[in-house]
Amino acid sequence: MSRPVPDEELMMLVRGGAGDMLGVLFDRYQVPLFSFYSKLTGNRAASEDLVQEVFVRILKYRRSYRPGTAFRPWIYKIARNAHADQARRRRIEVEFKPEMAPPVLQNDLAAASQQEALLHRALLELPEAKREVLLLSRFQGLPYSEIAELTGCAPGAVKVRVHRALQELRDVFLRLGGGRATNGKVAGVNHGL
Amino acid sequence: MDCDRMAQLLPDYWQGALEGHDAEFVAAHLKTCTACQELVTLGESLAELRPEQPSPALRERFHAMLDAYEEGRGEASHFLPRVSGAWPWTWMGMRPTVAMGAAAVLLVAVGFMAGRYLNGGEASRSQQELAGMQAELTNMRQLMVLSMLQQDSASQRLQGVTWSRRQPKADPMILGALLHTLRYDSSVDVRLAALDALSRYGDQTQVRQGLTEALESQQSPLVQVELIDLLVAWRDGSAIDQLHRIERDQNVDPAVRERARRAIDQLS
Repeated sequence: MSRPVPDEELMMLVRGGAGDMLGVLFDRYQVPLFSFYSKLTGNRAASEDLVQEVFVRILKYRRSYRPGTAFRPWIYKIARNAHADQARRRRIEVEFKPEMAPPVLQNDLAAASQQEALLHRALLELPEAKREVLLLSRFQGLPYSEIAELTGCAPGAVKVRVHRALQELRDVFLRLGGGRATNGKVAGVNHGL
Repeated sequence: MDCDRMAQLLPDYWQGALEGHDAEFVAAHLKTCTACQELVTLGESLAELRPEQPSPALRERFHAMLDAYEEGRGEASHFLPRVSGAWPWTWMGMRPTVAMGAAAVLLVAVGFMAGRYLNGGEASRSQQELAGMQAELTNMRQLMVLSMLQQDSASQRLQGVTWSRRQPKADPMILGALLHTLRYDSSVDVRLAALDALSRYGDQTQVRQGLTEALESQQSPLVQVELIDLLVAWRDGSAIDQLHRIERDQNVDPAVRERARRAIDQLS
């Protein structure tokens, strides 16, 4: 089986003017970026705009990509900046939209979906910086060193932030009626949303 | 106390970086402490959240942007509309009507300046500037069309489709906008007009691909029949699977299914 071309090599080609290589990077990153944005903002349309904006910026600033730079932190840095700029311009109000989360169903089988819907809600109630660090570390699975690079603080500080954000998320989740943890599984509680 | 130690260890626990005594401590503590269990469970639930899929329109927009870049080789990026709202081409965040007004003013200005330079004597400089302005003019035309295609009034959108025909050559953004109109416009008339405008671009992969996809989502029998006829005229065999699906679909209008069957015969 052939080895997939590393992101960094593709980006070097884009930097050299091979715009079509950006299509491969788009295929790799559109879903992670869109998921990140939609969980961060609670707004699908704005999230699609943001993903598009990230790739416009990559083309625009392609020459600023330096050889040897890890691509993933680089693209997430662009993604964070794009979001910050958009928020400044449009003062996005984070609103919880029902379509963001699976519907709350009545029967017990739907308990897992209910818990997921509640988790989305709880996330959206956290301050954005906390929501972001949780999404980057837990949902996107970025190592602390990369998050530290992105956010400009030490890896140790990132770990502390992740833990505090998680504690706050737990408080909100329980307040919203989320199930208490038992034997490592979230219990399905009929919280009657 | 133990929970304080957990606070220090859990971040590494998530990333599988704990070993030896630390790992044993976490495992033992989790058996007895509900609060820490809850944290671990929530952290795991976050990791297991399902990724969300963007709509197919995102890919279309990306490729329209990429095509514009490839055509303009970087220069186009100066003119790329700023992304805002569901339509990528809302220019600089302006509302469509405002953008249209701005475009109209610029069109008039370009015409005026061109006339002035042609009458005046500064030949070489004027030619250079004129070339720059013509490039801008092309972008203005593009902007006008894109703005008109997203008006509330169907007649204005129709006008936008008509304007698109004035483009001297295939423009990926305009084609993308027409394909979007073909798929999603609420008016059958506007969809038909968009299809008609697109029928000139059978040599463009973007258009052929877009038409096949539009066939999948199209609800209006009129548009479906026109689409099928166009694909047959282009001898586009790639749509054959789609045609088979239409032919078998009991919910589709019988006349359309019959047309699909004939198209399959012709394309096979």
